[in-house]
Order: sequence, then C-alpha cells, then structure tokens
Amino acid sequence: MITKLQNARIYDPINRINGKIKDLYIKNGHIIDKPKHGERISRTINLKNKIIMAGGIDIHSHIAGGKVNLARLLLPEEHRKYLYSSSEKLRSGSGLGTCSSFHIGYKYAKLGYSAVFEPAVLPSNARSAIIEMSDIPFIDKGTYTVLSNDDFLLKLIQKKTNQKKINDYVAWILHSTKGLGIKIVNPGGINAFKFNQRALDLDEKNKKYGITPRSILKVLTKSLIDLKAPHPIHVHGCNLGVPGNVNTTIKQISAVEGKPMHLTHIQYHSYDNKGDKKFSSGANLLAENINKNKNITCDVGQIMFGQTVTASADTMSQYRNHHFAHPKKWICADIECDAGCGIVPFEYRDKNFVNALQWAIGLELFLLIKDPWRIYLTTDHPNGAAFTAYPRLIKLLMDKSYRDNEFEKINKEAQKSSVLKNLKREYSLYDIAILTRAGPAKVLGLNNIGHLGLGAKANITVYNDKKDKEEMFEKPFMVIKDGEIIVKNGNIQKVFNGKFYTAETDYDKGIEKEIKSYFEKYMGRRMENFKIQNQELWDYGIETENIKCDRNDY
Amino acid sequence: MGTDIKGTRAALDIIDKYKCIIDHFSSDTYVKNLKSMQETGGFFLTLSELKNRSDTIIIFQSSDDVLPRLFEKYIFPKDTINNLKRRKVVFIGSKVPQFLYKNKKLINVEIIKLDSINLLNFISSIRKSINSKDSEAKDKKIFNLIELLKKTKYGSILWSISELQGDVSDLIVNEINLLIQDLNKFTRFSGLSLSGSDHILTVNEVLLWQTGFPIRTSFANGFPIHDIEQFSTKKLLDNKEVDLAIWINSFNEKKIIINKKIKNVLIGIPNHPQKNDVDIFIPVGTPGLDHNSHLLRVDKVVTMPLKKVRNISLQSVEQVLNKVKKGIVNSDN
Repeated sequence: MITKLQNARIYDPINRINGKIKDLYIKNGHIIDKPKHGERISRTINLKNKIIMAGGIDIHSHIAGGKVNLARLLLPEEHRKYLYSSSEKLRSGSGLGTCSSFHIGYKYAKLGYSAVFEPAVLPSNARSAIIEMSDIPFIDKGTYTVLSNDDFLLKLIQKKTNQKKINDYVAWILHSTKGLGIKIVNPGGINAFKFNQRALDLDEKNKKYGITPRSILKVLTKSLIDLKAPHPIHVHGCNLGVPGNVNTTIKQISAVEGKPMHLTHIQYHSYDNKGDKKFSSGANLLAENINKNKNITCDVGQIMFGQTVTASADTMSQYRNHHFAHPKKWICADIECDAGCGIVPFEYRDKNFVNALQWAIGLELFLLIKDPWRIYLTTDHPNGAAFTAYPRLIKLLMDKSYRDNEFEKINKEAQKSSVLKNLKREYSLYDIAILTRAGPAKVLGLNNIGHLGLGAKANITVYNDKKDKEEMFEKPFMVIKDGEIIVKNGNIQKVFNGKFYTAETDYDKGIEKEIKSYFEKYMGRRMENFKIQNQELWDYGIETENIKCDRNDY
Repeated sequence: MGTDIKGTRAALDIIDKYKCIIDHFSSDTYVKNLKSMQETGGFFLTLSELKNRSDTIIIFQSSDDVLPRLFEKYIFPKDTINNLKRRKVVFIGSKVPQFLYKNKKLINVEIIKLDSINLLNFISSIRKSINSKDSEAKDKKIFNLIELLKKTKYGSILWSISELQGDVSDLIVNEINLLIQDLNKFTRFSGLSLSGSDHILTVNEVLLWQTGFPIRTSFANGFPIHDIEQFSTKKLLDNKEVDLAIWINSFNEKKIIINKKIKNVLIGIPNHPQKNDVDIFIPVGTPGLDHNSHLLRVDKVVTMPLKKVRNISLQSVEQVLNKVKKGIVNSDN
C-alpha cells in the first residue's frame, strides 16, 4: 500500500530541503521515491498549508529505570495532580515529570516525537529498565549504559590496563546491557562519594583508586572511537550545578584533545562564580569554546519554571543539592558497585535569582552556540522540566519578542546578570528541524531516522502553520509512525510499540574470564545472569534494531 | 498479587480496564516502608555495595528467616573488592539471628538486646546525640555505638519491618531513615530494607511504572487513586466494599482471607490448601520453576532472570490472565 502526502511544506535538513513544497510517498513503513510505473497509490492525503518534519528525536530524556520509579514512589502528591483516565484504546496513568510508562509514549507521540533515548541506565539495572520501556508505546527507544564509576573499570584504569582490553570491556558492557551508547556521569566522582569524598574536580584523585576524572574521560572517549560506536561518549561532567563549573567544563573539552564528545545538559555545567552572589553566567565562555571545538556536540538541559523532580545517577551532586529539595524529601542510593542515583524534587521559581539565571543561561547557550547541528533541544527531562515543555521552549527560541516579554518577568538581579536581551537570534523552522531531528539522528549514528529521504522510516510530523509556535508544536495536525497515522488533531488513533536500538559490538571473548570471576567473587551473582539475552527481550515483544559499530567519521 | 513481572502486567491490564483495586496479600507491613519513603525519602544501597563496601553493618531486628542466604553471601563474604578485613556487625533487637550466634567467635559481632519500643527510643537517642553538640549520650551502649558510627567509613543499616512491633514499626522505620540521613552529614551510610515477602517488590515496581503509584491503588474511577489506608484488602473485605476478590499467588500456600458473602477466585499453585473453599480455582505454575520469569531482588535494582526447571504443563499467571482477558472481550462482543 502506498500513501502519498501532498502539498505540504517540508523541512528536512539532512536532505537540505528548507520549506519546499514536495510530495512524500510511504510504502511498508518507509519513505520511497515516486511509485514505480503501474504501482497504485492507495491513499492520498492533501496537506496544503501544512508543515512537515521528520519525527522528533529526544537524545536525552529520563523515561525509565530505577531512578524514575523511585521518583514516582517519592512523589504521590505530584502524581495526584496529573491523572489520566483509561479509554477503549488507552491505559490510565498519572504524573508529568515522572509520568507513568504508557502516557510517556502517548505524550511523546502527541508532540510528534518518534524516538527517545534513556540516557542513564546502570549496568545492573539495565534489564529492569528495558522491560519497563517495553511499556512505553509508539516511540523507538535506546539506552546509554553508565560507566565511569564502576569498580571494575576504575581498577582497570588504576592498573594502567591497555586500551584494547578496556575497549573489550566497554564493548562487552554494551553487548550485555543492550546499550546504544555509553554515558559518563561525574567520572570517578560517584565512586569517590562512596569513600566520603564530597567533590571531585577533573584533576583530583579518587581516594581509593588514585585516578582522576580526566583519565577516565580520556580512556572512555577513546574506547568509543576505537569501537566505531554509533554515538560518541555521552558526558555528564564533573561538578554539576557548582558555581564556577564552567571552567571545569572547558577543561573537559580540552581533555579529549579534539576527539568527538557529546556534552549533555550543558546548562548545568555553565556556571561562573562572579558577582556579589558568586553565581553568574558562564554561557558565553562555554559557547565560545564549543564554537571553536568542532568535535563537541551538546544538548542544553533547559530549565523551565515550575515544579519538577531531578533524577540522576550522580549521587555526589544530588546529595550536595538535597538541601534545595521541594518538597523537603529526597532519595539517594549507592548502587551495585556501578554508580548510584539521587532523586531531589525541585521547584524552579522565576523570582529566585539562581533559578532565573539558570533559565537565562540555557537560552543564552542556545543562542550563542552558532552551529545548530551541534546543539540539541532537551530539558534533561524531568530534571529541567518535563519534555511537554518543548513547545514553549521552541517558541522562546523562535520568537524574540515573546522571549523578551518572558525575560521581563524574571528576577531583576538575574536580568542584570544576563545578556539574553541583547541576543537577537531567532531560530527558523529549518533550525528547529535540525535541533530536534536531524542533529540528534546524526550524532547518534542513526541513518534511517531524523530525515525524510529515500529509505528513511516513515516517521512524520505534520504541523498546522501557526504564528504562535508554542501552539503549532504542542498539537501537531497529524503524526505518522512507521507509516501509520498514530495521532490526528491531538487524538491517538492506534497504539503499537516502537523498536529498541542497540549497538552491535564485537569483543575478545577472553575478557569474560576476568569478568566471570569478578562477578562470582564480588557481585554475588553469575555473569551469565547479568547478560541480557535477546530471547528475554523478544519475550516482552521488544523488537531490536541493531546498529553496527562501523562509524567512519570519528 | 503474588506473581512475576509478566503476571503483574497481565493483571494490571485487566485491573485497569475493569476498574478493580490492587493490593498484595503481604502488604500490611510493607506499606509502612512505602509510607516512610513517601514522607521522608531515604538513602539506600544494593546487595553488592553491602557486601563489598561496608566496614560496619548495623542490623535492626532482622532474622535470617527473612532472607536466609543474605547473611552468608553478603554480610560475611569471603572476598570483597575493598578487602574488608575487620568488618564490625552490630545487631540491635530482640530475636538474634542464629547465624550470628553460630559465627560469634569468627566475626566481630556485638549484640544489643532491645524490644521494639526500646529500639525506637534507642535510635531517637542516637539521633539526638549526633545532631546536638552539647548532648553526649550517658548510656554506655549508646555512647559506644555513636563512637563506632563516627569511626565508620561506610556503614550499612538493615531492618526488617515485619519483625518489628506493629504499632511502632512505622515510627522506627522513619527514625532509621532519618538516622541514615543524619549520619551522611559526616560519614557515609546507606540502608536496606529487608522486607518484601512473596515478591511484593516485583508487583510494586511494575505498578509504579505502569500507573505512577504503588500498591493499594484503585482504578474504580477510570484513573488510579492511591490510598494506603483505604485500599487495604482486609479493610475492603471487612467493610464489604467489594463483591469479588481475586487472589493471585503463584509462589506458595499462604492462607487467603475468604469472605463467604462475596465471590472468591484463587489463581494459585495446584496444592493450595484453600482451593476447594473458593468459587473458582485456577492452578498455575511457579515463576522460575514452571516457566521462565523475571523477579526483582530485595534491593529493587536487579531483576533476576529465572529459567524454568520442570515441565508439568502448568500455565503461568500471564497465560491464564491473557485467556481470561480474551474471554471477556469475546463475551463483550
């Protein structure tokens, strides 16, 4: 069956299509060229005056795993504020920042997103997280497995183990946990916190292993390059949230010596410590640095005002920030010699100096980093805000007068500390398509999403062309996933599950001898029980899409 | 609701659609842990952290009946990553685990015998001393323990709510969670609740991710409403607020409450002693014995894959419930 979408204006940056009116053809869930002679078009949808982009891709959103479930448990009052009824097609649910699984899928679909990546899966929690994700409908999913604080790796680095063996371990972890990428979280810091170190800067030594975050960062960055992994190292750096941390972030950029690195939620890592309050924007410093270093990509982790909950594997930082908990309760955990997690509910207030400046810093970064192909739109869901805030964020980026109006409302001292009002840049629809589709697809090494060219998955979002960009992006006219119409005028049409991306790696099986003994001696379980088998995923109806490790542009 | 991940998912599908209330038959004590988490949060750890990192372990009233292999594997292991040679174990409670007595000479154990009421006072006194510069504990046991806590580099605190006296158990758990938070101001401590019998943790985790709420949640209004007090099974049965009780227990012969005034269904193991006392009995296999399964470990982080070991043609809870669902859909049509 062939479907033709005609007369829409198309924004498809990967294929350099910038608002051209063009017909699209869908067959078997994919975009095809014009039908061959004699092939019948079964359905034509006239989309005159509509705008088309590929399905959105969220490169960093905490949608599943132990930390999300702990946050749900901690905050029943938040869930009671957002209750969703069941219907013939849909399950009931609750919550916003830590929304229940089915409704994560429904909400992303309604926003026109078709792929979302859970960025902090601890190896020991991977099986639980993936099974949980099988209850998130529509979207394609993938995970980044957290390394950089596990005792096994730190010991390898301490012993100055050769890179080849470390690569084998990293590949083994990716394979065993079904990850698409590897995430660094506060390298060595979470482990150091278990030994009562309360801070760990880039060149400070972990008490137990005597190694620095810099050494961990360098080794893992190289590993992913050597493995030709689909996605370069995904880095949540040292000193999250600490005034003055922009200097550490800049040092981290130089530490990788020109090698590809993705810096995540940079808003939380862009703070300077100037002024009376010893808290100021480091956005300009960092943006200049990122503009110069073409090897760096980033996502912002924009904050939006209101109540949310922060959930992170960075126990050290979350513990440090627990004093700000609102409401006054929090959870931290030390986890399985892997890393940890911390849940701190948080209310960002526009009249609070620090919160207001955090908001401005995120926007400054968006506007000062010049190349839209290297910066992606995220709120670090739910840490900065729930992903449902994306339409408003897009409006802030596209509409200077709206941005200026919002800026006028925030804390006056914060206004004085920010250059936001002087930044005239307005994102175009083409830029937004890069930030939310083309850019993430490219950095994730996924060639069949994020664009509308031949062979791409028919993941398509059709928007009404509206002046108010928040209205335009919050309720697409139609959303198509794998060639099927899943949402029309905000209403879900049919429910099915997306695929699960994994990286297909290879490693020297010899590494298993050491890992096996480590598991039996120290972990109290068998290595074979740790490794997730394909059959387990299939039993939950999870269809995997294996991405070969053959990236050749590192 | 005693079943595995797949069984819980299948049950929730029906529960949501047909507006039921969900509870677990072993929830009476566990909900007190839940409530404490909802009120104060906490600082927790997993089993391998307990095994490899803790130089001090404080056990508040937990016997080895709860998790028989825990003591052997995680509290007195042969090897640890951090080469812990002189681990100190302090047991505070009324019923001392046999394992501690058996190995008393081999390990560095201290036993402080206290009943639940005194235990509550004891923890409060420790907290008071820790949080106040001027208040030094007069009780020698408390003083010594505080000295130990201060010297500890990484400590674990374990408790088992089901073994604490019912009327004060929730207060004790709150105090334990707050004590751990206090201790982290100057050293490192984490806690582990040893409760969760009959795989309540598995059911609870699935319920949390699918609905946003833990056990004792009603779907009667079409959306989830969570209330620990209101949706206790015993209360619902006593007050005749339900007209059908469906019991699922694929693990053991644990007794169920049968109220003859309403309809009762039991989905249980074939030799359940009350199978003839209910209106409908459906035999099912046991996860990890009769079918492949996934169950959560006590720390809730690790999901264990279990492979079936026998084949006597018993269906899983998931298979049974999927057939029930199909049957309801067909009869609806």
